[in-house]
Amino acid sequence: MNVAIKPSASQDKAVSTPQRLLSDISVMVAGQGGDGSLTIASLLSAQFASRGLHLYSTSNIASRIKGGHAAAFLRASVVPTGCMGDHIDLLVAFDDEAVEKAASAMAPDGIVVFDASKGAPPEGVLADTIQVFAVPFGRLAVRDLGRDLLKNCLGFGLVSRVLGIVDDEAEASLRQRFKRLPATVVESNVDAFRIGLANADEIGLSEGVSPWTVDKSEREERLMIAGNEALSFGFLAAGGRFYAGYPITPASEILGWLQRHLPNYGGMAIQAEDELSAINMATGAALTGTRSMAASSGPGFVLMQEGVSQLGSAEIPLVVVDCQRAGPSTGMPTKVEQSDIGTMINGGHGDYPKVVLSPANQGDSFDIGVFATNLAQRIQTPVIIAMDRAMSQDSTTVKPFNLEGIFVDNAKRLTRDQVLKLEEYRRYKVTDDGVSPWAVPGTPGGQNLVTGNERNEWGLVSAEPVNRKKMIEKRARKIDTVRDDLPKGWRWGNAKATIGLLGFGSAGPILERAALRLAEAETDVQVLRPRTIWPVLDETIDFIRQCERVYVIEYNEAGQLAHTISGAGAPKEKMISVLKYDGTPFRAVDIANTVLKRENSE
Amino acid sequence: MTKTYKPAEPIWCAGCGDFGVQGALERSLIDLNIAKHDVMILAGIGCSGTLQNNVGTYGYHALHGRVLPAATGVAFANPDLTVIAVGGDGDGFAIGAGHFVHTVKRNPNLVYIVMNNSVYGLTKGQDSPTMDSSAAEGLDSTRLAMSIPGASFIARGFSRWSAQLHELTLAALEHTRAGKGFAFLEVLSPCVTYNDTYASWESMLDNLDDDPNYDPTDLSMAFSRGVALDVEGRMPAGIIYRAESAVGKEAPPSMADQDLNPAQHLDAYRGIMASYAV
Repeated sequence: MNVAIKPSASQDKAVSTPQRLLSDISVMVAGQGGDGSLTIASLLSAQFASRGLHLYSTSNIASRIKGGHAAAFLRASVVPTGCMGDHIDLLVAFDDEAVEKAASAMAPDGIVVFDASKGAPPEGVLADTIQVFAVPFGRLAVRDLGRDLLKNCLGFGLVSRVLGIVDDEAEASLRQRFKRLPATVVESNVDAFRIGLANADEIGLSEGVSPWTVDKSEREERLMIAGNEALSFGFLAAGGRFYAGYPITPASEILGWLQRHLPNYGGMAIQAEDELSAINMATGAALTGTRSMAASSGPGFVLMQEGVSQLGSAEIPLVVVDCQRAGPSTGMPTKVEQSDIGTMINGGHGDYPKVVLSPANQGDSFDIGVFATNLAQRIQTPVIIAMDRAMSQDSTTVKPFNLEGIFVDNAKRLTRDQVLKLEEYRRYKVTDDGVSPWAVPGTPGGQNLVTGNERNEWGLVSAEPVNRKKMIEKRARKIDTVRDDLPKGWRWGNAKATIGLLGFGSAGPILERAALRLAEAETDVQVLRPRTIWPVLDETIDFIRQCERVYVIEYNEAGQLAHTISGAGAPKEKMISVLKYDGTPFRAVDIANTVLKRENSE
Repeated sequence: MTKTYKPAEPIWCAGCGDFGVQGALERSLIDLNIAKHDVMILAGIGCSGTLQNNVGTYGYHALHGRVLPAATGVAFANPDLTVIAVGGDGDGFAIGAGHFVHTVKRNPNLVYIVMNNSVYGLTKGQDSPTMDSSAAEGLDSTRLAMSIPGASFIARGFSRWSAQLHELTLAALEHTRAGKGFAFLEVLSPCVTYNDTYASWESMLDNLDDDPNYDPTDLSMAFSRGVALDVEGRMPAGIIYRAESAVGKEAPPSMADQDLNPAQHLDAYRGIMASYAV
């Protein structure tokens, strides 16, 4: 299927080439849940990080606690990629199922390290060009050390020889990984590792004669962080103090992170009895002037929608996060999708102002968290953050956050002194920018009524038509007030290119990889990764106007993003939807091929 | 003094029980000398859900059924406020029943006054969960509350018995303001338009406050009295249960008044960031 694309350099090389140098490697470690795939992946992570490589990691775990097939994926590269590679270069397989599942994704010149405890790897599954190193790690771990679990470190011995990692370095990273465990446990793991090395020797993988070596890059300060963690951190840093949520995949990490950290800053994270409670509790806290947030995933996010409308009507600042997963209904809780775009923009009833932001990558989730927390205060309305399964839970290396650059914008919140100096105070005073000065409960003289009913400036219920019109328009003006300050998208490529790729969230980094592949095929494209989904910014519409054709790439069946953008005025005839809704991530190669196929037919 | 909104006139029908509830609340706030700016009244949806407009305090009109989560959020975020949630029986025991159970269990420092009239008055008289009808017996919210671990204050008043209602409202406020937690006061507050029960309810009530042998700190006595009265077609009034040693859910000092300057936490933030360094 790669006919349209020039083979990349790595695919040119013969399998037997000694000491192939990998500057971009994708690894999959897979077995039954509990086999410890994550251990090998994290040991490799540390190894690669010490070489200054950029990392991306994800996992593929069925939605159950233990057992079931589980896989950990890791990509390491000399340049940042922010996504998995097109193929698996190295597979560490603990069973037949791992080989069967990974086979179609394997690079033709890949390597498989196989746990042969139950026999040879399945026949006829892997391409003949793939090298297989089969050692019974499980059986050896039981025979020599009496513990099956030690097969991880035994396997790591083999893997480190495949990758040409110096034995001492590999052992050091293993000791580092287990340093908090009792010394005897550490030594058993090291013993297992050494047995792995001895077995590697027996099958010709001696130190110094490995089939591969892994490249190095400049060592610099980096974080390895998932989007949910970075977002939670951003909320905290921008003065966020109250959070309420109800457990749901893939949003639960936000609840866990904030339960761990908020109490250290005089804040609180509550596990509510349901999502209705969560958003209303967060709303209650927000009413006091406390910076607050609620998060969920699609099924819970829709339960929150009456609350979102209330925030918009009653003019209450709250950050609401939707960690999208594959829907509809219970859908596929652990799979990636971006199919709540319509809900995020129009989920609540009635007309109300709202902003929907989306981080461009895991690290940007911190900045978006900070921005959203301040923005909600500034315009006293719900600010929604669109995450997706991969953005939320996958980890990647990012630059350290600019902590010194964080600011807390108190916007139109009134101090006690300011209120005392006022002749009169009207909670819903009509202003040019649509935002009314805000006196919070406990402020003498600032007593006010907050309500989702239509009301007059004093907060008293009113259905009088002239007042109604004035109030609706006042609230709508808030968006115009901040439109120019909303986060701009990330761009990539030649701004004069006539073909555009457009996508947001976790699809974004993959678009850049696709653009690189297209460049190899002499097809010049530019990429826009919007960070403000609603309102649709002029930059997005202009991007489409200026290109001849724009491929809008998103994880849903209906083309929700494309519809949103064309509905806001972008020329529909220039937009081509590229959609994926099978729960698996896009691959750069597939996007590139789709574009080439279409462009070559023009 | 800054001029602010002029409290609204109640929208209730002449003779509505809710007048009695508002009167008892206003008197109690004066008795306890609580400044209006330190009070937040949150209301549900329904006839009772307009009380917050009439008192002159900070007020919030919550979504239908969600007054307790909203009030809990207020109480947690700013413990310096006196937080009073009010609402109807439909709001509390139909659409909001789940929150009632969990709020009793969580025991936040707030007062919850339910104006029970067994009907949905604002939507013209449909039965509520507390209605005794041929179809089903009404739910007794005081026994529901008693069955939930964490219950700390349960009382029932009658809007016609204004002296006792005043005392019960005071007791509920004092319970909460002493940090003992969630004070639940159900007030039988008849709807003169759709379900005028002044006479029938009065004849059913057994006023526990007048019974020298009743011990409101004894949960098993509270339960057995409630069940025994129910069998007779009657119900208890007064302080039904009060946990003397109750402790309300603790919250940090007012989050709303915190200095949020990020500079003061830079070292701690750097620590968090360091935990992700590779």
